[in-house]
Amino acid sequence: MAKLFINCRQAHWLLSQQCDTRLRWYERLALRIHLRACDWCSIVARNFAYLSRAARHLDR
Amino acid sequence: MDQKNTAQEIAGLRTTLLRVARLQLRNDTWAEDAVSETMVAAIEGLAAFDGRSQVRTWVIGILKHKIIDQFRRRSREVSMESQQELADGDALEDLFDHSGHRVAAPLEWGDPEANMSRGEFFAVLQACIDQLPAPLGRIFLLREWLEFDTSEICKEMKVTSTNCFVMLYRARLRLRECLDLNWFAGEGAPHHG
Repeated sequence: MAKLFINCRQAHWLLSQQCDTRLRWYERLALRIHLRACDWCSIVARNFAYLSRAARHLDR
Repeated sequence: MDQKNTAQEIAGLRTTLLRVARLQLRNDTWAEDAVSETMVAAIEGLAAFDGRSQVRTWVIGILKHKIIDQFRRRSREVSMESQQELADGDALEDLFDHSGHRVAAPLEWGDPEANMSRGEFFAVLQACIDQLPAPLGRIFLLREWLEFDTSEICKEMKVTSTNCFVMLYRARLRLRECLDLNWFAGEGAPHHG
């Protein structure tokens, strides 16, 4: 059975995967539950989005 | 459009193109090859350039294709480096405690627009990418700068999809830590209100 309660390491992994592929439903759910409770991982989620956006402008 | 002026503008872009190619390819010879091929293609294609985009944007678009061509030619070497990188130990484990929770708070980076207009920010980002092991830097740029799908990246770098995701994960975490340390925690970042 898929785990719904994940730690920060697993959340970081899913946050990165989410940048590259569609997560499975239970992964999205586990990540959402974790992000609700974890401000630090929520910051990392925003950092990853920022990084992705910045990289697209690297040839400026 | 004056083709002579455009050709001069293309020639003036050489330093920029080399910087971009070196960042992506991590190899001076490959970068020189990609830039030379780009400039030849641009000069030969001048008649087809319709002037709707800036010359710089057009030439960098050509360079991206030439970088991809270099990847294809060098895929065996890149693949071997990738496997070595995956076999290396991972310092990123220090970010988490024994139960898998973060040991330190990441910094909030604030409004992207505040930094995107600053050249110094991109210099720091580029330096952080340069510090990554070469395969991680390449795969990150293939994904985020050249906007390849992961399936294409796996094919180009001859790695499994699992390895591909692991490498992207490591690249993002290392870059995040590097920017925290070298930009957002220092004097470079604008203050958030």
